[in-house]
Amino acid sequence: MAERQLADTMGKISAWRGILERIAMPIISVVLAIFLGALIMLVAGFEPLPAFLALLKGSFGSPRAIGETMLRATPLLFTGLAVAYGFKAGLFNIGAEGQLFMGGLVAAYLGVVMGGVSLWINIPVILLAGMAAGAAWAFIPALLKARVGAHEVITTMMFTFIARYFVSYLVSGPLRAEGAVAQTVRIAESAVLPKLHDLLGTAPIGRAHAGFIVGLVLAVVMWLVLRYTTLGYENRAVGFNPVAAETGGISVSATMIKALCISGALAALAGVTEVLGLHYRLFDQFSAGFGFTGIAVALLAKNHPIGVIPAAILFGALSAGAGTMQLEAEVPQKVIFIIQALIIFFVAAEAIARWIVRFTRKEAIEDAG
Amino acid sequence: MLADVITPDLFASAVRVATPLALAAIGGTICERSGVVNIALEGMMLTGAFFGVAVTYFTGSAWLGVLGAVVSGTLLSLIHAFASVTLKTDQVVSGTAINILATGVTGFLMEVIYGHPGTTDPVARLRPLLNLGNPFNGVLADIWRWIDAVFFSHTPIVYIAILLAVVGQWWMYNTTWGLRVRALGEHPRAADTVGISVVRGRYFAVLFSGAMGGLAGANLSLEQVGSFTENMTNGRGFIALAANIFGRWTPGGSYLASLLFGFADALQIKLQPLRDVIQIPPQFFLMLPYILTVIVLGGVVGRAVAPAAVGKPYEKG
Repeated sequence: MAERQLADTMGKISAWRGILERIAMPIISVVLAIFLGALIMLVAGFEPLPAFLALLKGSFGSPRAIGETMLRATPLLFTGLAVAYGFKAGLFNIGAEGQLFMGGLVAAYLGVVMGGVSLWINIPVILLAGMAAGAAWAFIPALLKARVGAHEVITTMMFTFIARYFVSYLVSGPLRAEGAVAQTVRIAESAVLPKLHDLLGTAPIGRAHAGFIVGLVLAVVMWLVLRYTTLGYENRAVGFNPVAAETGGISVSATMIKALCISGALAALAGVTEVLGLHYRLFDQFSAGFGFTGIAVALLAKNHPIGVIPAAILFGALSAGAGTMQLEAEVPQKVIFIIQALIIFFVAAEAIARWIVRFTRKEAIEDAG
Repeated sequence: MLADVITPDLFASAVRVATPLALAAIGGTICERSGVVNIALEGMMLTGAFFGVAVTYFTGSAWLGVLGAVVSGTLLSLIHAFASVTLKTDQVVSGTAINILATGVTGFLMEVIYGHPGTTDPVARLRPLLNLGNPFNGVLADIWRWIDAVFFSHTPIVYIAILLAVVGQWWMYNTTWGLRVRALGEHPRAADTVGISVVRGRYFAVLFSGAMGGLAGANLSLEQVGSFTENMTNGRGFIALAANIFGRWTPGGSYLASLLFGFADALQIKLQPLRDVIQIPPQFFLMLPYILTVIVLGGVVGRAVAPAAVGKPYEKG
């Protein structure tokens, strides 16, 4: 009995240790990146401490700031999950931005033409239609990847540019509302995602909306799908070793097509919720590169759906606080991109840290033997 | 109407706009032939474009600007070489980080130096190398107008690109180092066995591609535009990679494939003023190079064979 208990406890300890080991490196990466970012500010002649304090104030310093962080984190939840799902199958969906644009387009269109139906019909229909548009936008790159091996990094990137010009054409042409600005008509009230504080009955927290909750739920759903369903198993198997997967009876090309389309559908939700929850209409510059930041989110999360949540909140906070930082400490917002890139480097270079640990362990064992 | 489009300037413009693609594609070719994927060409081009303008702004010399562009691209590629060759991180991930870094660094420095985002103050552009004029009369003058525009009207980096394509092609197939670089991408273990340093060869290739990316950026900002605008590369680094594939991973092929993309781009620029006549919105013209890239990749890649070891870190064992 005692032995069993001991084994049980040991098992629990090692499980916790596993989680701790997995989150330790991302946290170290973030700290290192912020430290290096501070160094760059210093070299460029800025004072890092007031800058970071302003950043913190703008992202967590008040209920409104926290709301702003949640608002900025919302599209990143979707694009982060999208990129992570692709990575799990060994695919790099660098074109989440383009799928996001197609989702936004569908939302802006259906949000207007479906006006008058109940909110409970309107919003789910738009969410689903947006996902379909994102999946469709990823389908050609997926097909080209599966059939002729055209690298998805180039094709999905090209589709991003095509989507941007397409949306630019529509908002300045056929879908343009009256007025000086090239944008669409405001969506109907029945398509508007409720504000988060209205939904939860809390004190006002600014512009954060229900899309944040949708993102959180989706992260859990994706985790369950990857862990407990055939779809998720095949996805992981192909990402882990396509040759072995094919030998094991999984169609690699079908799985790849499915993976990239699902990734596109997830990315499109970022565009849908930005339109339904924040802008209520579509215009050229409605996305601040959320598709590309989603790559950083997925990498920091090590492609774990639950890990996407804190990663999206971190990048949401950086983006929410950047304005305050520029305003109060006069440091250009662009420094956020530098920190973002550094985080990716440090997370990616983790391999070397692991290798050193393993190497020294092996040496120790050999020395002992 | 056709006479307004099919002019000597259309072909001259095709050669001009093909140049940054060609330079980056040649860099990408050498890099991928050595076994390293470089999707950071986009960022290296952007960085080159910025430093080209910034160095010219401070020194007053466009040639020092070109040097600054090449050096900045090379330094950026050093990060890629260190990450992907020494640390053996995922090459595509490292490339993505460098692209984001380039956006951040150029945007950040722009605000530090110029005090505002968007576009920098204009600097003196690099002028065309030759100015031959038209010494002929009659039909001969017409023919000369074409020859002069297409071959002799260009800025220096345009000629450097042609030279690099020719020399690069020769280098890759007729020199020891060309053979070695090709071996590194096909079978690094075999190359290692016969005493070729995989690490040194790959570092050289990655740094060369960075220099090419920087030079491509200098062509864009110092020869074509005369100023720097944030994200002005607009996906050219990725189109260049497609050109490299279409050119079957050879410097000469990369140049010719870039000419095709350049021609599509030149054509859409020429057609822009005619959009009222032909009733097609400008955005559809702007899409052309990107659509062409997808078509080329979809139609050609199946039959083009990439270097066998491309994208795989080499484990000495």
